[in-house]
Amino acid sequence: MSYGSTIKVPFGPQHPALKEPEHFLFEVDGDTVVSVKPRIGYVYRGMEKAFELRTYHQNMYLAERICGICSHAHTTCYAQAVEELLGSEIPPRAKYIRVIIAELERLHSHSLWVGIAAHEVGFDTLFMYVWRDREAVMDLLEAISGNRVNYAMNTIGGVRRDLNDEAVQKIRGVLDRFEKNVKGYSEIIGKEQTFVKRTRGVGVLKPRDAVSLCAVGPTLRASGIKSDVRLDDPYAAYDEIPFNVITDDGCDVFGRTVVRCGEMLESINIIRHALDHMPGGKLKVSVSRTVPPNETVSRVEAPRGELMHYAKSNGTTKPERYRVRSPTLANLAAVCQTLVGVHLADIPIILAGIDPCFSCMDRLAFVDRRGGAWSCTAEELGGGRGQ
Amino acid sequence: MIAYDIFQMLVFPGILFLFCLAFLYEWIDRKLFARVQSRYGPLYTGPSGILQPLADFIKLLAKEDIVPAACDRHLFMWVPIIYAVLPLTALFIIPVAAQTGLVAFEGDLIFLVFLFALTTIVVFLAGWSSMNRFSIIGGVRSALQMLGFEIPLGLAIIGMAIAAQSLSISEIVRWQSGNWWGIWLQPIGFAVIMICILAELEYVPFDIPEAETEIVAGWQTEFGGRRLALFRLGKDLETVLVSALVAALYLGGPQQLGFLPPVAGFLIKSVAVLALLSFARALFARFRIDQMVSGMWTYLLPLAILQIVLIQFGIGR
Repeated sequence: MSYGSTIKVPFGPQHPALKEPEHFLFEVDGDTVVSVKPRIGYVYRGMEKAFELRTYHQNMYLAERICGICSHAHTTCYAQAVEELLGSEIPPRAKYIRVIIAELERLHSHSLWVGIAAHEVGFDTLFMYVWRDREAVMDLLEAISGNRVNYAMNTIGGVRRDLNDEAVQKIRGVLDRFEKNVKGYSEIIGKEQTFVKRTRGVGVLKPRDAVSLCAVGPTLRASGIKSDVRLDDPYAAYDEIPFNVITDDGCDVFGRTVVRCGEMLESINIIRHALDHMPGGKLKVSVSRTVPPNETVSRVEAPRGELMHYAKSNGTTKPERYRVRSPTLANLAAVCQTLVGVHLADIPIILAGIDPCFSCMDRLAFVDRRGGAWSCTAEELGGGRGQ
Repeated sequence: MIAYDIFQMLVFPGILFLFCLAFLYEWIDRKLFARVQSRYGPLYTGPSGILQPLADFIKLLAKEDIVPAACDRHLFMWVPIIYAVLPLTALFIIPVAAQTGLVAFEGDLIFLVFLFALTTIVVFLAGWSSMNRFSIIGGVRSALQMLGFEIPLGLAIIGMAIAAQSLSISEIVRWQSGNWWGIWLQPIGFAVIMICILAELEYVPFDIPEAETEIVAGWQTEFGGRRLALFRLGKDLETVLVSALVAALYLGGPQQLGFLPPVAGFLIKSVAVLALLSFARALFARFRIDQMVSGMWTYLLPLAILQIVLIQFGIGR
């Protein structure tokens, strides 16, 4: 159905479907999207510059606050980068604790996503139930670390808190209940025809496109590509823990839901294995405050996909340059491609399908300098220091 | 006698009683919906939050009145009032306190179907007059949705009229008191009308015209303050209207139940219908508009026609 003329429908920066401010301009012909123009940068926070102004230990607090959901993934990535620069190895027990917290974080991040996906297609009951059960994991993290969101478990050279027997018992109890619930919800999602109708065949991302547009995480795995940093480039204790990488051949939003539900169950198994095989010993090694000149890239599988940190040191107590590439940025090109040709009503669920975290993503605010070019020189940006 | 008529019109079972019912039904709906979702629902205003809908209404009345510069002023002013008045008018012809409605005449069933159609047109005009992209999309969706559910709804209503040999709602209620209830005679018609009124009320899975995550508040987006309050009141009255209609057509309407007066019978039946609606709307995700319309035409319409054919063969009358 074509009406010959198109109208422009703005999505954001304020829109109920987007939990964070970001703008998408849709050109719509009748009910069909013709083109999408994303405009990012609304939540630019100057994080990377702030990294350069603080010492390595102070930066731990900053890395914790890059994201409000996957804070542990960011600190793990940061700590790994600095440990690599220092050339220090963390104790085995610390590695296991990092894995346990990371997987608990994946549990609460994925269940948050399942709730949001249900809400986007109007299935509010599932949303309420999933988020109710997510609270158990949040409370567990609070019991372990003292905080629901910014756990502050990592430090450079290890972890800050131990898991005692009481905490281990608590984790096992919560996991048993959570596993039962997740299995129930996966069954509902597969059976409930209204949900299936709204998600199956919606937002199709072909495997070839997924690879060429550099999609990451569950978005990539739902297109049938087996790619997971935990398997491809094991960090922490992932090389010692057996686990499956969940993939789905659906290539659509339904596939992304199936992958995330499967990953939750897999995370539960990983945590159980880690609890069973956790070695004793020290929690951290002491490290020097100054870092020798070097540069490194550190990768972590955050709940949303591959997270990448780049660090360059110059022999002082502060980094020379720090760069964070969050999974949402990697998925943005892919999601914009899938949005072309869909119904207007499917936009929210497709956008939400990549589990966007726009605040983590925004790095640089583009300023429209009237008449000027849309590029800046390194001198203008970094005062002549960086490349 | 005139004094009693005025009392009937204004107080019981007229305007005041219906307003109270509207707020009560909104509370029941919200509470049940919340309990199904494992929430508490309204809790603080009055016992178990029973006064919350009234408190919301009063709060909205006190809010600033904003009229967008680009809107069609006259339409924008009148649409909320008409939207609230339409279901109130329709409620006068539905039996509430006795087996006859406040106003009853042969053919009032047709008038009711007309009022239902008018409500959707008012919704469309509300979206159109706001001149907001989301509102216009919401309004168009609501009109499209009407194309889907109106014919099955009409057929489901007519089914009972054929059985009772009358086009008057009061007459259909009287006929049921000496006969089986409509739900036992025409179960398919009951299922069809329940699905259609889910769409009429814009409840999940048919809340397409006001899909929050897609088009903000749909056709209501630009309305605020006392206009929104009127829309909410209209929606509550519509909830009372449809549950009363189903109670009248399919559940025997206000009947003497033991020592209970007819109005108690009406309340029990319509609340049962309301509970069914609240429960149903917690169970589904939202359809897309094309899925909704094609589903209505491919599944619901043949079912409604099947019911009429069965009646013609003498089954269900």
